[in-house]
Amino acid sequence: MELPRGRAWELSDRQLGILFLLPFAVVSCLFVIYPALEAVRLAFYEKLPFQRTLTFVGLDNFRYVFADPVFWAALRQTVVWTLASIVLQTVFGVGIALLLNQTLRGINVFRGLLLFPYMVPTVVIALIWRWMFNPEFGVVNAVLRGSGLISAPIYWLATPLWAMVSTILLNVWKFTPFVVICVLARLQVIPLELYEAAAVDGAGAWRAFLHITLPQLKTVLALVVVFRTIWTFNKFEEIYLLTRGGPGTATFNLAVYAFEQATANLKLGAAAATGVVMLTVLFGGSVLYLWLIQQEEA
Amino acid sequence: MRRATRKRLRASLIYAALTLITAVVCFPLLWAVGTSIRPNEEMLRLRLLPEHITGAHYAALLTGRPMYFETATGYRPSTAPAQHFLTWFVNSVLVTVTTTVLCVAVSTLGAYSLTRLRFVGQSVVPYFSLLGYMTPSIIYVFPLFLLIVPLGLADRLPSLVLGYLSITLPFSMWLMWAFLKSIPLEVEEAGLIDGASRFQVFRLIVLPLALPGIIATSIFSFIVAWNDYLIARIFMNSITQLPLTVGVMHFFEGVHVDWGLMMAAAVLMTLPLAVLFMFVQRHLVVGFGAGGVKG
Amino acid sequence: MRRRERLTRRRFLRWAASGAGAAAFRLPAATLAAEKTGTVRVWGEPGPYGAVAVDGMNEWAQQHAPGLRFAIETLPWSDVYPKLMTDLAAGRPPHCISVESPIAFQLMAEGLLEPVDDLVQKIGRTRLIPAARWEYWGAWKGRQYILPAHHQAHLLVVRTDILREAGVTKPPGDWDWNDQLAAAQRIKAKTKLYGLCFALGRNLATDYYVISLLHSAGGRMFDADAKFQVVFDSPAAVETFEYIRELFPTMPPGAVGYSFLDVVDSMVTGQTAMVFYWGRVFGRAAEINPDLFKGMEAYQHARHPRTGKRYNWNDFQGWAIPKDNNPYVAEVRQALTHVLSSKEWAIRYVHSLVPNVSPVFQDVVQDPRLLQHPFFATKRRTIFEYYTEALKHASNSGNELLRGINPLAGIVHGRSILAQGIEKVILDKQPAGDAVKWVQQQLEAIRREHLRLLG
Repeated sequence: MELPRGRAWELSDRQLGILFLLPFAVVSCLFVIYPALEAVRLAFYEKLPFQRTLTFVGLDNFRYVFADPVFWAALRQTVVWTLASIVLQTVFGVGIALLLNQTLRGINVFRGLLLFPYMVPTVVIALIWRWMFNPEFGVVNAVLRGSGLISAPIYWLATPLWAMVSTILLNVWKFTPFVVICVLARLQVIPLELYEAAAVDGAGAWRAFLHITLPQLKTVLALVVVFRTIWTFNKFEEIYLLTRGGPGTATFNLAVYAFEQATANLKLGAAAATGVVMLTVLFGGSVLYLWLIQQEEA
Repeated sequence: MRRATRKRLRASLIYAALTLITAVVCFPLLWAVGTSIRPNEEMLRLRLLPEHITGAHYAALLTGRPMYFETATGYRPSTAPAQHFLTWFVNSVLVTVTTTVLCVAVSTLGAYSLTRLRFVGQSVVPYFSLLGYMTPSIIYVFPLFLLIVPLGLADRLPSLVLGYLSITLPFSMWLMWAFLKSIPLEVEEAGLIDGASRFQVFRLIVLPLALPGIIATSIFSFIVAWNDYLIARIFMNSITQLPLTVGVMHFFEGVHVDWGLMMAAAVLMTLPLAVLFMFVQRHLVVGFGAGGVKG
Repeated sequence: MRRRERLTRRRFLRWAASGAGAAAFRLPAATLAAEKTGTVRVWGEPGPYGAVAVDGMNEWAQQHAPGLRFAIETLPWSDVYPKLMTDLAAGRPPHCISVESPIAFQLMAEGLLEPVDDLVQKIGRTRLIPAARWEYWGAWKGRQYILPAHHQAHLLVVRTDILREAGVTKPPGDWDWNDQLAAAQRIKAKTKLYGLCFALGRNLATDYYVISLLHSAGGRMFDADAKFQVVFDSPAAVETFEYIRELFPTMPPGAVGYSFLDVVDSMVTGQTAMVFYWGRVFGRAAEINPDLFKGMEAYQHARHPRTGKRYNWNDFQGWAIPKDNNPYVAEVRQALTHVLSSKEWAIRYVHSLVPNVSPVFQDVVQDPRLLQHPFFATKRRTIFEYYTEALKHASNSGNELLRGINPLAGIVHGRSILAQGIEKVILDKQPAGDAVKWVQQQLEAIRREHLRLLG
């Protein structure tokens, strides 16, 4: 391509367009599309541990996974974990967003502090959690025992129930800000006239919330809930770094199950099969998400 | 008068609620800071406030605290986690900044092209990008690893950049597409009519308008790259090549759990994000709210 | 006449040239090793000893391959499998490995390791301590693949001061399982400490604990004399699971999540009075709690009342050399020979973590310099319990009752099968018999899937 001299290099619009798109296309194909396809392909193969040969096994990996009681336990636990996390995140998220949606002085300070957990690395918060919830020396048990609420230490990470609670709390702590951001953004564009009209009509704060705010938030909440559900369903680090899926397999979710299949059982095929299950759930959720977006734009 | 009082009462209630909630939410971080300045002798005693304050843990991270067996035998194996903290920090910074720059550049250019150009399958790309974002990295990680090894990049920092691009690019594309889509074409038309080239229009008109989106994408990219654990753990091996996330977990698996050191590491690891966050907090709401959810 | 002179001269020149030529051919080979550059990656478990050995290897490198640098990479116990899996899959193994023996045995059976029979000769076939055989560290189908680094047994470690406080009078060296349980219960009842602690989390450590008790009770996972048939489901296994269940109330409740280092902490922070542990716990106690250290003693495990056995889980840990995709095989062989032939390096290795790392060569054990470590002043008896006594009761899951190496053990531990089994009893409160049957099924599945390894 000859570049004309004396001017800033100039390509036709179309050429420029292709040039701009090229890096994205290349990187996507190599590092996004190819691994995803390969991950699906691997589900139909088995790789001998420590060897590099792949053997085609058809649906064997799926049969193995579906026959494994740990898989179903992981699925059940994923649903519980996701449900609890989403409900709490939504309730807290909306509540905090409402509180932050005020034109009071210094509200920005609160906003900053309350949104920060979203940015904290999972590793950091998992370590802090492990320290805080340490049964003998952690501050949580110290406060609970000191105030007389419990008499014996709670083994947060060693009892199946409390381990699940700990991971849910961590998830809620870290991701409620996401809900807050989205809801807050929406709240800020609700026309004030609606509220003024309601105030004139004598409606109280609660009724204003029910009849004005909530309907306005409906679509955003639907989007946020679907989005967060998909995301939470497949989370790995939040559970693994805190409990490693333990005690036993009590806090396994599908992602941790897949990781364990690959790294502990050395069954890469089984891990890939679990991945396919996760992708299927993902796909279903995304279709729902996109449908909702279409609805909102209509 | 009553109205003003009610307003003030309402305001105080809101402040009180916010203060309480903020205190609870920020407590873990505050507790980490408190632990990081607590001397080891007091660590296992159950007191809320320490009697003495020490900077020893931070000093240890910067100079390298030997593990216990070193003091007894005089041997200094090169694996004490504290010795490598600074290296990990530098690794994280390098990888994160590179990823962010590349991610923003690639996604902005690509999104511009996507919103201005017409070609087959165009409308599908953003939605595929979103799908890519929602795919958990556990699915990518092993095939990606098998891909980078023949390239000779295993255990090298550039492999992390590639790995992080694979998880940041899809959503960044989605974000930038959403932002650029909302910039009306007329603005560019005006520029073109005035005789500017397409590239100049892009550089001088579109980019400034898309700045909120670019900032949002940068923040997102930065956070994801800085915080990732899984990809770094699978790709990187040598202790000097680790980023902070994986390195800091070494504090756990070493000889014993040194809580003070670990919390100091946690604090230092979060500090850059806190700084970043303070500066761009405002944009975060605008960026995510407008572009992220509604599309 | 002239012709013969010329021929003679030509022949002479040819001879000289060929002599020089031969010398020239020899030279490049020698400089090849000396010219090699790069980092030789050595994997080891957490602890200072790996680094000491690597220092020894670097001493060799300085003299013979100055462009090379040996570097230790310490892998946490929970990380070995993921790292091995990904790196071997990608064709990028470490250049030298020292890991838990069951894992090493698995690598050996998979054909991934370099045979080292010739090095055994160079290091000294007869130098081994009398109670040990070269095969214990890693021989497969008649060839040696792993060179001995050390052995490390876990023993019953007690706080004599707490035993006194609780009124336990019978010396731990005379205990059987019932005495042990009674002592633990008494300590829990009469003092502020827990009676006993070992790991019960879903990890390697728990498997080791269960195995040693199983062996003492007379059970095994696989039958080495009958093609490694799975023989786990047995009264001995049920008895072992039930014994652990009886011990559990005397343990810290958090033990269900414990791995190796948590048990150490449990002892040295004064949470528990007795642990089953390797020698590392003494070093840790000496560092953070010298008073506690004073009262700690180690004994062989309690006898099983019926069999009289008191097996410990002894890790015969050695050095293995991956043979594929490894450009430094020759250099690693020579460096290892250098380190293992040297008494000085052996003593430094052992001294780096007394009494965790036990010496394997007789001349090292008898060397007076071995005793020049501060711990020998007060803990000499304990140290020799680890160094020599433990060998009389040594067992290993990869070499059950030392009757034959079984590569399946690595896979069993990778999935923490035994840990999962005991957790069914402790966490899910299942009857021991059901949990034992579950473990039996898992072991049979593993044997089926990996039959080729045993063939």
